[in-house]
Amino acid sequence: MALALPDRRLGIRGRLMRLNWLLIALLTVIASIGVVTLYSVADGSWSPYASRHVIRFCAALVLLVGVGITPLRFWLWIAYPAYFGALALLLLVPLIGETNMGAERWIAVGSFQLQPSELMKVALVLALARYYHGLEFKRVSHPFGLIPPLLMIGAPTGLVFLQPDLGTAILVALSGFSVMLLAGLSWRWVVVGAIAGFAAVVTAIQTGLIQAYQWGRITAFLDPTVDPLGANYHANQSKIAIGSGGIDGKGFMEGTQSQLGFLPEMHTDFIFTIYGEEFGLIGALGLLGLYFGTFLVAMNIAMRAKSHFGRLLTMGIALTFVMYVLINTGMVMGLAPVVGVPLPLVSYGGTVMIAMMGGFGLVMSTWIYRNQDTLRTQGAF
Amino acid sequence: MRVEPFDTQRAMIFNRRALIVAGGAFGLFGGVGARLYHLQVRAHDDYAALADDNQFNQRVVVPLRGEILDRYGHLVATNAQDFRVVLIPERTGSVAQSLARLEQIVPLTEAQRARVLRDVQRQTAFTPIQVAQGLTWDQFAAINYRADELPGIQPEVGMARSYPDAGAVAFVTGYVGSATDRDLEAAPDEETKLLYRQPGFKLGKAGLEHTFDDGLRGEQGSMTVQVNAHGRVIEEIANKGHAPAQGESLGLTIDTELQRHTLEVLGRDYGEYPEDVEHHTSASAVVIDAWTGDVVVMASAPAYDPNDFTSGIPASLWRDLNASPLKPLLNKPVAGAYPPGSTFKTITAIAAQEAGIAPSTRFHCSGVFNFAGNPFRCWKRGGHGSLAMEDSLKHSCDVYYFNLATKLDIDHIADVARRYGLGQTYDLGIGAEAKGTIPDRAWKAAYYRSTPANQKWFAGETLSVAIGQGAVTATPLQLAVMAARLATGNAVTPRLVRTEGEEVIAPPSFARVSGDTDDLDVVRAGMNAVVNEWGTAARSSLQPDWMMAGKTGTSQVRSLTRDPVTGRVLSNDELPWSHRDHALFVCFAPYDSPRYAAAVVVEHGGSGSKSAGPRARDIMRAVLEKDPGNTDRHRLWRPGMKPLRPGLQTASLGAF
Repeated sequence: MALALPDRRLGIRGRLMRLNWLLIALLTVIASIGVVTLYSVADGSWSPYASRHVIRFCAALVLLVGVGITPLRFWLWIAYPAYFGALALLLLVPLIGETNMGAERWIAVGSFQLQPSELMKVALVLALARYYHGLEFKRVSHPFGLIPPLLMIGAPTGLVFLQPDLGTAILVALSGFSVMLLAGLSWRWVVVGAIAGFAAVVTAIQTGLIQAYQWGRITAFLDPTVDPLGANYHANQSKIAIGSGGIDGKGFMEGTQSQLGFLPEMHTDFIFTIYGEEFGLIGALGLLGLYFGTFLVAMNIAMRAKSHFGRLLTMGIALTFVMYVLINTGMVMGLAPVVGVPLPLVSYGGTVMIAMMGGFGLVMSTWIYRNQDTLRTQGAF
Repeated sequence: MRVEPFDTQRAMIFNRRALIVAGGAFGLFGGVGARLYHLQVRAHDDYAALADDNQFNQRVVVPLRGEILDRYGHLVATNAQDFRVVLIPERTGSVAQSLARLEQIVPLTEAQRARVLRDVQRQTAFTPIQVAQGLTWDQFAAINYRADELPGIQPEVGMARSYPDAGAVAFVTGYVGSATDRDLEAAPDEETKLLYRQPGFKLGKAGLEHTFDDGLRGEQGSMTVQVNAHGRVIEEIANKGHAPAQGESLGLTIDTELQRHTLEVLGRDYGEYPEDVEHHTSASAVVIDAWTGDVVVMASAPAYDPNDFTSGIPASLWRDLNASPLKPLLNKPVAGAYPPGSTFKTITAIAAQEAGIAPSTRFHCSGVFNFAGNPFRCWKRGGHGSLAMEDSLKHSCDVYYFNLATKLDIDHIADVARRYGLGQTYDLGIGAEAKGTIPDRAWKAAYYRSTPANQKWFAGETLSVAIGQGAVTATPLQLAVMAARLATGNAVTPRLVRTEGEEVIAPPSFARVSGDTDDLDVVRAGMNAVVNEWGTAARSSLQPDWMMAGKTGTSQVRSLTRDPVTGRVLSNDELPWSHRDHALFVCFAPYDSPRYAAAVVVEHGGSGSKSAGPRARDIMRAVLEKDPGNTDRHRLWRPGMKPLRPGLQTASLGAF
């Protein structure tokens, strides 16, 4: 039986047979919800969003399978180069990046626009998993063992923050820290880290490192009465749209608030709003359930993986995924500041799709090679 | 298989941490779910209401203003198609460029351009801004034709107040205009304020448009529209809201045809000015139906065009209108108070009879009357000889009335004057009515409130009042009312409105003027003699068609002007226009069965008999010709008779 075969001996067909179809199914359903919603956003049209979303998802699915059937050893080997590659792309942004709404986040690759910060999230998880895979456990909480991951997290976080893209910077940092936490960082350091993080935010605010508009959105979140029509306009309109959806929603393509343009960026960051308005509580809880289900499937994979690299990688990807979902939904419902985080696989956007599906490709690889526990390493580096 | 010794430990820790993190994630998912439940279930009603507020807007629909009709149903004020042009900033490439191109078709003033540019700054880019209205068809067509070159410029057709008769009835109708800040403050409620703010809404600013604004305005409608986030209307929601109701129409007593004719007559040259004297027309006429009090004609020359006000009057035109010595913005029939001159002798004559002086009493006129050592001169230097009352009116002998004045009390004369309609306002609804001055002891005491020494009434002053000079003033409307009361003996009061909406207002039945109205016979006979028996207004006779009775008046504008070298009193013919006397004429006709009474005042016309009388004759002829009540007894239109007034149509008689 194929399942009994040692991972090393798996042929292409064997690997394909071992694909986790439940994970693929969940991701496909989530992306389909994205297609339906994007069709509605475009006022009942496949263009410009829905059709391209389908194409992107199909391409990303191929990518997922491709990454998934690639031996985990390869990913372990490529982890650091991938990280530095992503870091290099991030460095390129200020040099050749395109300014969009006051922030440089994109670089053009041919006719595509690439958002290196999205790729970085996966690359960072990959690199940290690689790091802890080769690190003796007793050194995880040792100060010297702490410095390399902090540098690995700090460099991309800082670069993204300077773009400026506060939301993604926070996400990058959080995905990195979550891998550190999973690796077994002592709670003492977790507490110290939390305090240091808080101090850093305060300092950033006081020294003016955080841009005015970001600060406005954060203060508006902390006290929505400050400027009801200003910085918190998005969140308020979004709450109205979702709230007016009720239990069963206004129906497909019937979302008046979203369709009439009371909401900006409907096809990207605020797509959950129109979805919640049109499909109501039932639809929204269903989507959240799909996301959580995806997370549980990934967690199952992580806990069954015999390699530490695979575990950390899979759980790191799964947590990044979940953080996207929680921050995005929290943001559109007024629970979190408006920081510009897309809803994975539903929001329109190619890089996020590729990064997320690529990430799940790594999860898939971990699944296929879950029994492979003897990844050869030469220490942490 | 080789298991590294530390791997078991870190796997255990990983699993524990993973479960903790998963628990945390589950909790956060639960939080998001709870938030969804709060928004979509518990607070759903609130958010649904907010969503409706977002997307539905109540819009006020401006009602059509009620029409104003004349006596025969001719339109005096209506709502006409108005060609406008608006600018939608977001559709222009450049506002300045589009405006510049538009100006090749429609010239704009500096102020208009500034207003448009200001509105562009103030409003959202999709809100249309009115650039100009009242375009000609050629301009409108040109804009349509050149639409491609005019991005963001949009021609529109709307309704605007229009006065087809232009100036003829301007003072009666008044005009409309956009609500000012003061109007907004005075608005009784928010709904009204909202209506006032509508771009197409105008409210009555003057005249009957102002007085009857409530009825004319109509009921505002409403409609519900779906709007997007920028306030742009997406669609109108059917069956929500109600249609506006057009305002009630207002029927005037004015006959616009006669009104136009009167204005034309007032402007005619009657040869009263020598050719080398620069003269102008500043005159007024009022004709009253003595049976009903209906004001058939109320003309003020020169007139202004109320259409200029509808679209906002240009500042330069407003300045010119205000600065003109002819006072085109003054409604002279009601606001112009003139010394009535000899027309007031009718009042003095009645007062004398009431005081017991028989009409047959004769006084001798030698051309001058000495009173308390001062000479009071008759207008006829040689004197009139011995006269009774009727002839005194016919020849307008001043000395006769000086004699009466010495026997009369000023308070009594004032009382008669008031009973015959002077010294009071009639609240016609057009505003600006002057009360005029009827001097008596109380008036003088009040006038010299601060200087008690001057408060005493001197008998010499009564002499001036008796011939309508001195402090006496009256408006043409009051003089016409006086003529109507003299003609009928009824206390006629004038009115301008016959119908309000569907309601026809019945003419009031007038009481008799208090006092012995038999006294009027002599006055009426005297007025008949003035016109028909070679009196002072013999040239104003309408014979053989009608017997019109009248009284001339000439009132001094300034005290006698003497030649600076010889000291001789200069006659009117030798004075510049603005120094000449005002010419007045009051009349009624037909003499034996009075129907119409009129007053004509020609400012600086020189003399009542040369200037005002002939005009009154030509006005009254038209009035009488048109009166259907005269077809049997005072029939004019005999077969083969040539039309007396070219251009004046009589076809509208059928409306009676």
